[in-house]
Amino acid sequence: MKNRLKKFGVNVYIMEYAINSLLRQKYKSLFITIVLTALIFLLASIFFITNSIKYELQSTVDSLPEIIVQKIKAGRHYDIDTNDIDNILEISGVSSAVARVWGYYYFENAGVNFTIVGIDEFEQQYKNTLARIAETLDFSNTSSMVLGAGVKKSMNKSYYKEYFNFIKPDGTLKRVYISGVFHGDTELESNDMIVMSKSSAREIFDMDESKATDIVVKVANVDEIQTVASKIKFLYPESRIITKNDLKISYQNIFDYKSGVFLALFVVSLFTFFIIIYDKASGLSSEEKREIGILKAIGWRVDDVLKEKFYEGFIISLFAYLLGIVLALAFVYIFKAPLLQNIFTGYSQLKTSFELPFVLDIQTLALIFFLTIPIYIAATIIPSWRSSTLEADEVIK
Amino acid sequence: MIELKNIKKIYELGKNNIVTALDNINLNITEGELVILKGVSGSGKSSILSLIAALSKPSSGEVLVDTERVSKLPDNFASDFRRDKIGFIFQKYNLIGTMSVKENIILPLVPMNLDEEEIENKLQRVLNMFHIGHKKDQLVRNLSGGEQQRVAIARASINNPKIILADEPTANLDEKLSLHFIDIIKELKSEGKSIIIATHDPLFFGLDIVDREIEIHKGKVF
Repeated sequence: MKNRLKKFGVNVYIMEYAINSLLRQKYKSLFITIVLTALIFLLASIFFITNSIKYELQSTVDSLPEIIVQKIKAGRHYDIDTNDIDNILEISGVSSAVARVWGYYYFENAGVNFTIVGIDEFEQQYKNTLARIAETLDFSNTSSMVLGAGVKKSMNKSYYKEYFNFIKPDGTLKRVYISGVFHGDTELESNDMIVMSKSSAREIFDMDESKATDIVVKVANVDEIQTVASKIKFLYPESRIITKNDLKISYQNIFDYKSGVFLALFVVSLFTFFIIIYDKASGLSSEEKREIGILKAIGWRVDDVLKEKFYEGFIISLFAYLLGIVLALAFVYIFKAPLLQNIFTGYSQLKTSFELPFVLDIQTLALIFFLTIPIYIAATIIPSWRSSTLEADEVIK
Repeated sequence: MIELKNIKKIYELGKNNIVTALDNINLNITEGELVILKGVSGSGKSSILSLIAALSKPSSGEVLVDTERVSKLPDNFASDFRRDKIGFIFQKYNLIGTMSVKENIILPLVPMNLDEEEIENKLQRVLNMFHIGHKKDQLVRNLSGGEQQRVAIARASINNPKIILADEPTANLDEKLSLHFIDIIKELKSEGKSIIIATHDPLFFGLDIVDREIEIHKGKVF
């Protein structure tokens, strides 16, 4: 092994010396490893969470309808007339218009809100997830529903394993049987969506057959979305028209706010890192200086000393990097980022539990690597370089 | 072999605090010669050793070793010169206390990237020569003063240098250990090495193995 490394020009004895040097100063090395690992762990956790959230929001935005038409009365959202669909379909450029029946249902046992979505067998679904569910849902049975995986988990905890009794606005109950579980395109979908037939949903919300929550409109040419939205607004001046772009902006605002909090955490951790680096770069202990002086006096070159210091810095920082990354991966994706995730989900206690999707890209790992390891190695080498370029006689004294 | 020409060494210790450690020193030491530099503390003996070992540079003048102008060597070449030609025994030994005897002795060989077998052979030679083989795995800080000095001599000799420089080698030793050190020096001299010892220990004065005694006083040769 040693001879093989020698062939590549690696001086294994200097490497051995560096490892021994770290072991000789075991408390100092341990302290630096712990601090570096903690900082890399924090940085990596922040990056992993923001990446996951970004991915999740992007997926959510991608699955959004192009235009949503809502009925507004006195500034509040009201049920819309399904007959309006025919008029909207006549607008040129519109490829489809579907009435949506959906709403929130408060699940008291878990203290969370679920989203009930009603679908019809033969209508064109505005989401891929719904299209998949429509293929499996038994529309002949008006008392069946399909639950998102997260919803199923919440219901299981309260022993609702076969059916659930929804309380209707008039106080009576509607029993709906659980016929299946789905995994949505996004975690948000899986965690709070219940899908059933439109007639069941209308019954639970006490909604008339001719009414819907809103209408989603598909436009064949994305460049015409704004024009079609203006035409619908012209047709129904009292309605609120929300385009995909409007939703994108509102999601982005939420993300920006959240990532701002993470940015603050990121800055704090980097600041701490640089304080340590500054402390390390500002000088060596007299013992460390003496050791460099001895090495110079017995024939080590400046580059031999720097090589040894490089190995020391590289070994310690690479170890801390790998450990920090593994811990961050476990913290974010296995333990669901306790405390840190609350910063993201904390704005709504009524949201169901949110699982961060696993997103790991080389750029993030490289960014953390280059933000920490070279800086730490430089901080190790620079003061050693300063000492090793002095006259050995002066350093030993 | 070793030639000091018009050497002047000035230390600037601060504003208006200039110390002339060596003043117009001219010295010639031939191959295989054992020279004693004697004088009181602060007379400039150690400064002469530092200049010969290229550990520091003269303020003016030249140091030549085997016609090589070591006082003008760039830093890395000075390191090579020390590694190949000089064995320096420091007054306080300058060992690394948290390392073992073996690790301390082979330190000068580390940057050379030699084969393990070659390192082992060199190590065995000095361990036997200075009778410290039985202590090779012990930490240096746990050794006695005399043992530490033997480790320092072994380290200085590992590369089989032509020149041995010793700075106040018996300052921290009792008489018995000092006599033992003289025995070691005899052995090194018998190998044909040039040896320069800076000392004010009377034990060295008038020894039959000493070729020359040079008196240094206030940075000048007398």
